Amino acid sequence: MKPTLWAGLLGIVVVLFATSLLVGSAALDPATSLRGLVGQGDDAAAITMREIRLPRAILGVLVGASLALSGAALQGFLRNPLAEPGVIGVSSSASLGAVVVFYSGVAGVSVFALPAGALLGALVAVVVLLVIASGNTTTLTLILAGVGLSSLAAAFTALALNLSPNPFASYEIIFWLLGSLKDRSMAHVWVCLPLMAVGTLLILACGSALDALSLGEESAASLGIDVARTRLMLVGGVALCVGAGTSVTGAIGFVGLVVPHLIRPLTDCMPGRLLLPSALGGAALLLAADIVARLPWFGNELNVGVLTALIGAPFFLWLVIRSRREGF
Amino acid sequence: MVSRGQLTRFAALALTCGIHVLAGYCVSASSADIHPRVMSLNVCTDQLVLGLADHDQIVSLSNLSEDPGLSFLRAKAAGYPKNRGLAEEVFVARPEIVVTGTYSLHTTTAVLNRLGVRVEEFAYAQTLDTIAADIRRMGVIVGQRTRAERIAVEFERELASFETIPPGRWPSVVVFEQNGIVLGAGTLADSILKAVGFRNLAAEQGYSGMVPYPLELLVKDRPDVVLVSRPYSDVPALADQITRHPAIAALGLIHDSDVVPSGSWSCGGPFTMEAVRALRRLRQSMIRPNKGKEG
Repeated sequence: MKPTLWAGLLGIVVVLFATSLLVGSAALDPATSLRGLVGQGDDAAAITMREIRLPRAILGVLVGASLALSGAALQGFLRNPLAEPGVIGVSSSASLGAVVVFYSGVAGVSVFALPAGALLGALVAVVVLLVIASGNTTTLTLILAGVGLSSLAAAFTALALNLSPNPFASYEIIFWLLGSLKDRSMAHVWVCLPLMAVGTLLILACGSALDALSLGEESAASLGIDVARTRLMLVGGVALCVGAGTSVTGAIGFVGLVVPHLIRPLTDCMPGRLLLPSALGGAALLLAADIVARLPWFGNELNVGVLTALIGAPFFLWLVIRSRREGF
Repeated sequence: MVSRGQLTRFAALALTCGIHVLAGYCVSASSADIHPRVMSLNVCTDQLVLGLADHDQIVSLSNLSEDPGLSFLRAKAAGYPKNRGLAEEVFVARPEIVVTGTYSLHTTTAVLNRLGVRVEEFAYAQTLDTIAADIRRMGVIVGQRTRAERIAVEFERELASFETIPPGRWPSVVVFEQNGIVLGAGTLADSILKAVGFRNLAAEQGYSGMVPYPLELLVKDRPDVVLVSRPYSDVPALADQITRHPAIAALGLIHDSDVVPSGSWSCGGPFTMEAVRALRRLRQSMIRPNKGKEG
């Protein structure tokens, strides 16, 4: 079971990554694309492949994987099937942080200014939510707190952008609330990659603790798990992953919700062992959504956050309905 | 809306106006020697008013009139009160004439019309050929016909003085603005590019107006010149990031944001000649054999 799951997921990611590199308005044929990718053939193809399509595909993998990984970790740790960076407001808080730092101009106009605020925003949101979720709360309390937090963050984001003297800022509200991978560059990849790598390692290191926590906090503690330390690592890991991703692509919702639920039936349902497959699944989902967003069906390019919400929001409602029937 | 009396008056004026068929001219022709107080609600009419009306005729200008990216006459506009284009402001200020653009502030114009305020609208779609007529029309509206005629004639004279560019391989240009918006067919920029001997690549590919242009197409088609726009403001926005995208830098083309003086081709006016002159200079510097087109 396990090797087939791995091979299957990896295969899907590889195929979608390659497809992502082949789709674009320049309509390059596969041979030209491949030559361009390795820096041969004509200049235009090389620039298109290496400066436009490659960073986009890489960001699809990185951001999709880190969102789904964060979603799987949050669902496992909070034992809440609806927990997800977008739904509980971590993504929109990261957006707010990035917006405040970037548009105030204090950090300059470089893309490297983006993550500073996003990390802080994500961190504040995760801490607030864990405080709310601590103690005896129901699944619903956390989700409702998340709804409040994400509405508040979205409102402040819109306010901050409307107050900017730059006439373009107010049009960028949609990017920060429904993210996009359009026209990113390798600079964006380098901005978020190291932060995501650290975040991913922190989350993965919690794997066995998450397995133990599925039995409850006391049982986990009796098994020798340091719950406080696990919580700290997860807070840091999720903030790094979601903050870094959101700072370069805006808030992309529901990837972290949908993917763990799709992958879980294929695993042995231990939250720790769900982490890496979820990351692969998230990469696949975001790559696929981003390919569809680029297809010419919609006229101009769609924000990929629109598509993930179109997939994810009905899924979320279905989870809510199922929970009413079966209880969590 | 229009009474019979007004219609008769209009008909009489239209006859006396003879060759001048634009309604805007004729209705206001009777007020030619008085200088009405005018309020402008649009950045383009702001600059026509600034160039033609006397200082004490101008009640207020739109708050975009000082925008560094849009308004060429921003320094001159600094000395006047500003409005936000609200009908309320018009009522408080009580100008004799309101001038605005046809596409801006639709609802405001409708309210003002209904309440009997005289509103003169200027078409949003301008080209090099409409500028002289717009100058003359504004001259009539603000009662400065002689001044307007002088400026319009000078504009037409300079435009006509440019030698016709010999047919041949015209260099291609893409005007790539914030958020990857391109200036396509039918825009003022398009008419200027054609007049000085550039091919507007986006217009040739069927893009018209101000529309998004895929970065990949820009790379694929490799225009001889990419004109990117300067940031509108010192305060950053993501909109400007695309003009600094490494893919454009890697093309190694002329992609200068300093070629066209800021605001000189956002609106049509006498100052639009600054954009024409700048692009002519660029065009003339490219008469030498083109290098590196085949990549």
